[in-house]
Amino acid sequence: MPTLTYLEAIRQGIWEEMERDPTVFCIGEDIGIYGGAFKVTDGFIDHFGPERVIDTPIAESAIVGAAFGAALTGMRPVAEFQFMDFIGCAFNQITNMVAKAHYRWGAPAPLVIRGPSGGNVHGGPFHSQNPEMYFVHTPGLKVVCPATAYDAKGLIKAAIRDNNPVIFFEHKYLYRRIKEELPDDDYLVPIGKARISREGRDLSIITYAAMVHVAMEAAELLSKEGIELEVLDLRTLSPIDREAIANTVRKTNKVMVLHEDVRTGGIAGEISAVINEEAFDSLDGPIVRLTALDTPVPFSPPQEEYFLPKVGDVIREARTLAAY
Amino acid sequence: MPKKNQPTTNRGNANHKRLRIRQAGSRSARHQRNYTIPDYRLEKPSFELRQVRDGDTIRYEVSGKLNSSVPPIRDSKYLSKQQCIEIYRWMLLNRKMETALENLYKQGKVVGGVYFGLGQEACSCASAYALQEDEWLGPLIRNQGSLLVRGFSAADIMMQYMAKAGSPTKGRDASSHFGDIQNRNVVAPISTLGDLIPVLAGVALGARLQRKNIAVMTYIGDGGQSTGVTYEGLNFAAVQNLGLVLFVENNLWGYSTPADMQFRVKDLAERAIAYGIPGVIVDGTDPCQVYDAAHEACQRARRGEGPTLIEAKMMRMKGHAIHDAAEYVPKALFEYWKKRDPIARSEDYLVRQKKWLTREENLKLIAEVDAELETQRERAVASPMPTAESAAGGAYCEAGCHEIKPKYGMQKFSNKKSLRSRESETAVHLK
Repeated sequence: MPTLTYLEAIRQGIWEEMERDPTVFCIGEDIGIYGGAFKVTDGFIDHFGPERVIDTPIAESAIVGAAFGAALTGMRPVAEFQFMDFIGCAFNQITNMVAKAHYRWGAPAPLVIRGPSGGNVHGGPFHSQNPEMYFVHTPGLKVVCPATAYDAKGLIKAAIRDNNPVIFFEHKYLYRRIKEELPDDDYLVPIGKARISREGRDLSIITYAAMVHVAMEAAELLSKEGIELEVLDLRTLSPIDREAIANTVRKTNKVMVLHEDVRTGGIAGEISAVINEEAFDSLDGPIVRLTALDTPVPFSPPQEEYFLPKVGDVIREARTLAAY
Repeated sequence: MPKKNQPTTNRGNANHKRLRIRQAGSRSARHQRNYTIPDYRLEKPSFELRQVRDGDTIRYEVSGKLNSSVPPIRDSKYLSKQQCIEIYRWMLLNRKMETALENLYKQGKVVGGVYFGLGQEACSCASAYALQEDEWLGPLIRNQGSLLVRGFSAADIMMQYMAKAGSPTKGRDASSHFGDIQNRNVVAPISTLGDLIPVLAGVALGARLQRKNIAVMTYIGDGGQSTGVTYEGLNFAAVQNLGLVLFVENNLWGYSTPADMQFRVKDLAERAIAYGIPGVIVDGTDPCQVYDAAHEACQRARRGEGPTLIEAKMMRMKGHAIHDAAEYVPKALFEYWKKRDPIARSEDYLVRQKKWLTREENLKLIAEVDAELETQRERAVASPMPTAESAAGGAYCEAGCHEIKPKYGMQKFSNKKSLRSRESETAVHLK
């Protein structure tokens, strides 16, 4: 079994789908000879040719519009956004043209919009954002945020095969920092299913993407104090796995929601409502939200560190919650 | 690949296989400055519109040659007698359907407003008529005639306006906001303008990936062309050399804003120069001019020669929608363009000038259209409203609801070598 980074896992997933299905093609900025700003499509143009690895002008609405148009003819485009921070440029195409197509006129849009999101790399306000909630709020879209190399590969393949538009948020902090052995077989990870990263009895942390690793690190440290955290990795934000959320709350009765996105309008609020609807009687304490600040992502390292939730924050909040 | 600064004369080097499907012309031809914008019109109206104070209010005033004689229809280079009559019939159906819609509105049967293409029927119908069955169209709100030509029924459109269960969107959207990817190859528009342009370009891209060059057609107005996505879409089509036929319908008014307040160029066809694509001007009230330009643009597209911008000049002869009496439009402009009514002129052309239709044949054709519309209107009115619960579901394509397959068939690409990792040598923006 080969050991792959998170980034290599995504690259391999797209590559395998392009090998398997001639309708899959890549479109985006600098993805051809240069191989993409993060080199996810490195070598693709040499192998698949410039017809299927298309460099575009700097025009995000055109990228999404063209991907949608091609999808209407039965193609399966994989559109790269150089940074997910730039997705606002294509907001209308995504939320009005693409997302509403199936509901309005029965046109399926099997396309993937993927790219790097998230901070902790000192990218500043325009290269560190977590814009996932704009799209979680839009019916018709699926939103995927993998935390591990295994999931990243299985989910990108599932996203490409899905008959709906999928916004695939890759966490750039994880690109080259995590590695794991991946099976050789053609596996998929289902969209819409959360995963228990760590079993625990005392309290649940519901999280996704890079924060899964923060939660896991905190869990190891708290274990030494006798507090056993259960870590639920959502993997998909839309559709959200209500059952997995309810199950972990019923098991531990205490829950913290952790995310790197800003606090107001972040998915923690939605998850709190889901718990309220599905497992209110199981709660032994308040639902704790641990999130980034309600500000843009600051550039300077001490500021960004302050902005992001950290292992120490999780430990502090977990101790308080565990005492209920 | 040759380096960017190498002289273009090196392009013949046998070691460098040209990979891209590019403009059919030579590279040097692409860089030649050629600013010719053919103008097929038989008259070139030139008016000046000013805001003037009139007592307590400010209104638009028009000046210029407003009483010039009406030009004839220009003989088509391509259309047969029969085809000219067919287009005339589509235009009649287009107009009479909109009149029927106006009546349905007055009877309180329409939900929301009604949008008209009055005065623009030649542009809608003759342009769509140039497409082949397996080609694609993306209409705007005033292109209801285009939808008829693509094979939707007048009842489909009327049911959309009445929000009926039998409408193509089953009540979920209104007006011309519907499409069909199975048979009629129509992309449903959204309300924001310019967004269809990259989508239609993408349709052409999808077809090209399936080894077929097709023509794809969409429209933008003098108002809509101000949007950024118009630039993005058309530039993308130009760079990728996709077979987009973009009709810029310059109908002089974007809601209440005159064209002079949307752009500074004399003719919107001039924009083509900046995209590096051909641009032409036609009289949007002359179906033969519209068709000929559309046909030539479609032929270019089918040959893989890229997009064309066609500016069709005409005037919107109603308000933005039925609620808008368009009192801001100077009366003299309405009078000028009313004399250039596309249907009256086509009738004159076919009956009196060409004598391709006798008076009796013309009356019979009109009666047929009336009868067809009456049947369609009855069918549309009889359709029930959707159930309340039908609002739910359908936002996602669930398993089994659609089979997705390449429209034009597709061969498997040949595989060359396996994925290799260049992890160690990568230099990336942020680590």
